[in-house]
Amino acid sequence: MRGPRSSGRPPGNPPRNPPPRPPAVLRLGNPERRLHAGLIAMAFVLSLFAGRLVQLQGLDSKVLQEKAARQRVQPETLPAKRGSITDVNGNELALTKDAAEIYVDPYDVDPKKRDLVSATLARELNLPKEKVDAALAKTEQRYIPLDRDVEPLRAKKIMGLGLKGVGSKPTYQRLYPGGRLAGSLLGFVGYDGHGLEGLERTYDKVLAGQDGQQSIEIGRGGERIPMTRSTRKEPVPGHDVRLTIERDIQWSAEQAIDRQVRASDAASGSVIVMDIKTGHILAMANSPGVDLNRWDAVPAENRSNRAVSEVFEPGSTNKVITAAAAIEHAGVTPNTVFRVPDQIQCADRTLKDAHTHPPERLTFTGIIAESSNVGTILAARKLSDQRLYDTIRAFGFGSTSGSGLPGEEAGLLPDWRTWSGSQRCTVAYGQGVSVTALQMASVYQTIANGGVRVTPSLIAGTTDDHGRLVPAPTPKQTRVISEATARQISGMLEAAVGNDGTGTEAAIPGYRVAGKTGTAMRYDQKCAGYCGYTATFVGFTPADAPRLMALAVIQDPKKGHYGGAVAAPVFKEVMSFALKTRKIPPTGTKAPRAVLRAGE
Amino acid sequence: MIQQAAVRRRSFASRAVGQGSAIRRMDGLLLLAVAALSIIGTLLVWSSTRSWTSVEPTAMVKKHVLNLFIGAALLMAVAMADYRWLKPAAPIAYGVALVGLLLVITPLGSTINGSHSWILLGGGFAVQPSELAKPALVLMLAMLLTETAARTDRPRAIGIALCLAVAGVATILVMLQPDLGTTMVLAVITGGVLVLAGVRKRWIAVVLALGVGGAMAVWSMGLLKPYQVARFTAFINPASDPRGAGYNSTQALVAVGSGELFGKGLFHGGQTTGRFVPEQHTDFIFTVVGEEFGFVGAVAVVLLLGVVLLRSLRIARQCDDRFGTLVAGGIVCWLAFQTFINVGMTIGIMPITGLPLPFVSYGGTATFANMIGIGLLQAIHLRDRSYGRGAG
Repeated sequence: MRGPRSSGRPPGNPPRNPPPRPPAVLRLGNPERRLHAGLIAMAFVLSLFAGRLVQLQGLDSKVLQEKAARQRVQPETLPAKRGSITDVNGNELALTKDAAEIYVDPYDVDPKKRDLVSATLARELNLPKEKVDAALAKTEQRYIPLDRDVEPLRAKKIMGLGLKGVGSKPTYQRLYPGGRLAGSLLGFVGYDGHGLEGLERTYDKVLAGQDGQQSIEIGRGGERIPMTRSTRKEPVPGHDVRLTIERDIQWSAEQAIDRQVRASDAASGSVIVMDIKTGHILAMANSPGVDLNRWDAVPAENRSNRAVSEVFEPGSTNKVITAAAAIEHAGVTPNTVFRVPDQIQCADRTLKDAHTHPPERLTFTGIIAESSNVGTILAARKLSDQRLYDTIRAFGFGSTSGSGLPGEEAGLLPDWRTWSGSQRCTVAYGQGVSVTALQMASVYQTIANGGVRVTPSLIAGTTDDHGRLVPAPTPKQTRVISEATARQISGMLEAAVGNDGTGTEAAIPGYRVAGKTGTAMRYDQKCAGYCGYTATFVGFTPADAPRLMALAVIQDPKKGHYGGAVAAPVFKEVMSFALKTRKIPPTGTKAPRAVLRAGE
Repeated sequence: MIQQAAVRRRSFASRAVGQGSAIRRMDGLLLLAVAALSIIGTLLVWSSTRSWTSVEPTAMVKKHVLNLFIGAALLMAVAMADYRWLKPAAPIAYGVALVGLLLVITPLGSTINGSHSWILLGGGFAVQPSELAKPALVLMLAMLLTETAARTDRPRAIGIALCLAVAGVATILVMLQPDLGTTMVLAVITGGVLVLAGVRKRWIAVVLALGVGGAMAVWSMGLLKPYQVARFTAFINPASDPRGAGYNSTQALVAVGSGELFGKGLFHGGQTTGRFVPEQHTDFIFTVVGEEFGFVGAVAVVLLLGVVLLRSLRIARQCDDRFGTLVAGGIVCWLAFQTFINVGMTIGIMPITGLPLPFVSYGGTATFANMIGIGLLQAIHLRDRSYGRGAG
């Protein structure tokens, strides 16, 4: 028995004299020593493990846990259903429909079946096969949307094919059933589902609702991990916005302005129809229009709502303001007679009427009906500059209408103290001052409404959480001129549409129409001065009990340029349609005979 | 002899578990640790295979439990076998293992997970002869070294040469499968047994040189599969290919690390249930304990494995029979190497090598082999107590 194995001996053996220690050679082969070394090695490795575990599960655990969560937890946005935009009767102008997004996970597509998958998707989604091929070739990506606006039924069919690596998720599609209908008014939403232009943008907060959130844990195979917590915040659907627009009148206005812009080879045009009593805008049409279902094909400058964004010098339609000021503050009456030559010197400029004529003795009504610039200047000379300016301001020039419409401009009304010598004459007949179509429409609404201005509005109301309509606050009402003055001006405007007036083309058989033509020189940046015209007609019906007003403006017409010739027919067409749609009967009265010239 | 006669008169149950029975005299702590690891392993296998199919989430764990029962029976059978039979049984065991390894390379063999190391038995069962080769090689080497030893017990050159030949044949057959992990285990067993047998330093140096030279030859001749090379590269720098070879390593670290101190709880590990770690029920089973039982559980498993290894080492040290010491030492080398490589690769301090974690991983033949190993240790332990005293 040698030492090496003696320790394996059970205790209690009688002690023996140990043999002499063998030389070192033997100790090398000593299993006891080598087992002992093994023991130390094991203990070392095991404590190494423990140390590493402390590092992984203690010190680095937060980093690793986050890494785990990143690959496992998939936050997903649950899109909220966007509210509709409807006309005043609830007809949907913009609506949101259930749709499906079809996406691919190229990583998951069997390379052998890639061509089949691509061909199938290209056929089902009506996409070019090259596009699908390109998406599927990006095998390092795991999510590439192919089509966002897929019919739910078609998506179901595609998913039913069981193609690996092809997925679908519910989404919404914004649709504009009318296409171009109220296009520049409504605006549109971008690919992120939020409004980019028009009302879609202005009322985005109301329409969009609150997206929900859901985070679920997804395993490596893409399946939901059972027994894991998931959080879900339900989306809150958006509210509907109801406009004051009447779809049919809007449509008619668009047809009329489109046709006239084309016929007169004009740059653009707008039509506004408003309810006199409420200030509700019943139609607001612009040409060229915007096809909302293909908005990205429309040039940016044509996407805006010109009726409130385009600023122009109004011309003769502005004369009613001068008339109102002269009647209210200078004791002028519709029958006051002026001796009107065909031109007049004003500071450094000679200002002329549209046509040459010998000096005439015109009543104030005659001046307005025949739209004499010189006559208007003569009336304005009875007023101080400040008085004229204040009246123009009171009618709403130089500030936005208060309608809250997107993109609305305030126009340009220089302070009276800065007026040049000739400007104080030209402002009286609507040159040297700039307005929007809506501002001018508001002037005629005020006159028609007995001198009380109602802030124009486009929003009838929005729905609440329960889908009930909450009407928009009643628009502000402001008295601008006295009722008597308003009535007198109405009479003068009726004469303007009468036999000897400039607006005979606007006359609607059976109805009493009051209105005014405007033919303004148009400032154009392209020619750095005045070139071309702005043709306008604005008026209301019935003249003796006004219900509706309409304005038609046509910018830079090449074939004809008089408001009476180019704009008045548009007014007539739209107004006739609106009267019928609104079932407004003629008043059955006859217009009193207007006296245009002294001694008639 | 009187005592033995008394034993013979007692009932079977009494003889099996009663006073002085084999089970009572076994190394209880070793058995307890193995049992605890098996129970933990069962839970981990269950958790990691639960989400494979929704139809029958317990299919794999049921098979694992069956394997454990068969393994336990094998353990008891080997432990209670007469110690004196072990040496003559060695060539038989080695022969059987060799036949199995040869059958694998015939058309009877099947490939599972890139390793051609299986023989399908039908009915969903398969054996992996390379696992059985581990205990067989241990027995064979111990037998050769004791039978050829000089009077001084120092191995003679002829013994060492025979050992290298015997080990070489088995190792080459496993290498052909190819099964890098088991190849390394067999090499470690051979080296360990030789070292324990008291081989001179210079012989050890020669064997080491042969081993390193062989490994370099394998590397330079391109005998390694590309994925094996990639695994080593990924070990050096896991970020080099996070989706490929480094994926396993990265995912293993993420799973273990997200367990923190107490873990997410059984069945609540998102990484486990989400099946982010490949081969999680076999090679990467330690990630499950890491994620679901946290640091506490992982350390418990490491400690239990430590108990198994230390008790085994103790049996080797206490045995006064040379053959027994070598067998026990060989088994320690085998289990220790597998434990270190497996846990080490899971926690990112060893390269990834396909080796199961003893007593914890899923795997029928591996379970049987491990249990046979423990059975051999117990047999050596039992012999130590009953015969050692008499011999003294």
